[in-house]
Amino acid sequence: MEVGNLAPLETSGAGAAGFAMPHVAADEPAVVLELVCRRFGAKVALDEVSLTLGRGEIHALLGPNGAGKTTLLRILSGLLLPTSGSVSVLGARPERQSRALRSLVGLVPSGDRSLYLRISGLENLIFFGRLHGLRRGEAKARALELLEHVGLTEAARLRAGVYSHGMRRRLALARALLARPPVLLFDEATHDLDPEGARSIRRLVEAAAGHGAAVVWATQRLEEIHGFAGRATVLAGGRVRFGGAVPELLDRVVPRRYVLRLRDRETRAVPPPARVGAAIDSFGRVESIPGAPEHLLVVLHTEAVLGAALAAVAAEGLETISCTQERSELEEAFLSLTGERR
Amino acid sequence: MSILLAEARKLPAFVRRDFLVALSYRMSFVSDLVSLVGQILIFYFLGRLVDSSDLPTYGGTEVTYLEFAAVGIAVAVFMQFGLQHVARAVRSEQLMGTLDSLLTTPTTWSTIQIGSAAFELLYIPLRLSLFLFAATIAFGFGFESSGILPAVVLLTMFIPFIWGLGVVAAAIVLTFRRGGGLVGLGAMLLALASGLYFPVDLLPGWLVSFAEVNPVAVVTDGMREALVGGAGWTAITREAAVLAPLSLLSLAVGGACFRLALRRERRLGTLGLY
Repeated sequence: MEVGNLAPLETSGAGAAGFAMPHVAADEPAVVLELVCRRFGAKVALDEVSLTLGRGEIHALLGPNGAGKTTLLRILSGLLLPTSGSVSVLGARPERQSRALRSLVGLVPSGDRSLYLRISGLENLIFFGRLHGLRRGEAKARALELLEHVGLTEAARLRAGVYSHGMRRRLALARALLARPPVLLFDEATHDLDPEGARSIRRLVEAAAGHGAAVVWATQRLEEIHGFAGRATVLAGGRVRFGGAVPELLDRVVPRRYVLRLRDRETRAVPPPARVGAAIDSFGRVESIPGAPEHLLVVLHTEAVLGAALAAVAAEGLETISCTQERSELEEAFLSLTGERR
Repeated sequence: MSILLAEARKLPAFVRRDFLVALSYRMSFVSDLVSLVGQILIFYFLGRLVDSSDLPTYGGTEVTYLEFAAVGIAVAVFMQFGLQHVARAVRSEQLMGTLDSLLTTPTTWSTIQIGSAAFELLYIPLRLSLFLFAATIAFGFGFESSGILPAVVLLTMFIPFIWGLGVVAAAIVLTFRRGGGLVGLGAMLLALASGLYFPVDLLPGWLVSFAEVNPVAVVTDGMREALVGGAGWTAITREAAVLAPLSLLSLAVGGACFRLALRRERRLGTLGLY
């Protein structure tokens, strides 16, 4: 049996105090990785990965299966030591201050197997709260507070085993927030959730980041990070293929080239490229396509919106018969960046 | 010191967790009690085949086979707990997928290990007391009340020895995922030369000599002297002197093995795998 009907999420106002983070120097990077390598026998899982993450930042870690995302998160959470390179989480280093590091990090692992399914969601949180050093009364109060934030108050006393996937993810998120860690790590936190469930988790994460938490969000889905993460690192085969701002990444991978078929609304003739180019001059440029005289290639500027360009074309008295992306899929473009496209 | 205190404060959380989990399997509670009754009955009928004059006397007191075996069962249950549960605790966390969750909290390995066995550590003596109490009432055992406390002290001193072996088993399980049976085999050999269910005198001479320093035999004999012979504290002096260093050695060896296994797992990055 699964339990549905979740209570609404509380991600702002007084309730968001549950995400309040401890005071650390504002200019101090929360996470610093320098040339981190990790090998498993002959296999290289991470190869000279460097990354810096500030407070309140949501940093997307992108890559296909086997890219090294989980290995990186396991190193950041103290579960795994790097073979070489240095890792620092607010000054704590995993090889020397493993215990301190673990008190600074909250991990939401992939999958549902990280909870005790025979006991209630509330008891799960109380147990882990106590392992974080809270007294029983404090742990219970904190658990109830967080269950409210993640919309699980009504299901608090039900066994975690009857929770749906989405509810377990919310519970895992609540657990990660128990000790108000300044660094939060998410491993494919929404990969098998429905769109509403995934969105609700992202809203909670945004709320946590809004209160100062540095967030590393590992995912395979490029579309998930648009408008959510500020910066991104793309991993493939353990190596960094891209590191920078999300808009820059999207520029590189989001198709901005469209093939248009246009016609003059009155004469029904194919317009010359110069006429179309003049109409959309502020949005991009126009090129003719050899061997396809009825089609034109429109290359949009970075900030240009396709709809606005098409409106300018219409204002010129031209009718759009068809408009297709030159490259078919966003994900295909992403795969080309990670070297996975065949 | 403050870290030690902070870690100790976490142990009740483990006990509560495991109590709630055990409570969710109500049938296992019932079947456990039924199996205890079954054990008593088996040894009762077996005891009817054994002539008391073939058994050793304790403080000049003759002992029935059921009284003799009851103490053996008590020690065997402790051994079973130490060897199986301590090793199984880590393994079951690995299998359930909760080990990583525990390891991402600022909790030491020792706390996780002791905590994971803490509920059983409290439950097993309760179960044993119930067993001995029920057997005493049902079959009129002549146990001396003055021997109860010395027997408990002796059993308590035996815990580190068995715990140490259990931790060795846990280290083997951590390294090879299976293979805890090797330690079980060693424990079986210890049990064979211990007089848990039959007098040590029936064994070949070299095994009888070994039994003199076999901690399982030492604790079993000491408990019988205390409970049946009524020898009180004097009965356990020699046993305690033999048991104490062996318990410390076992604990030290277990701790070292486990640290090595843990270091290897962290280096390989296979700790959470099963």
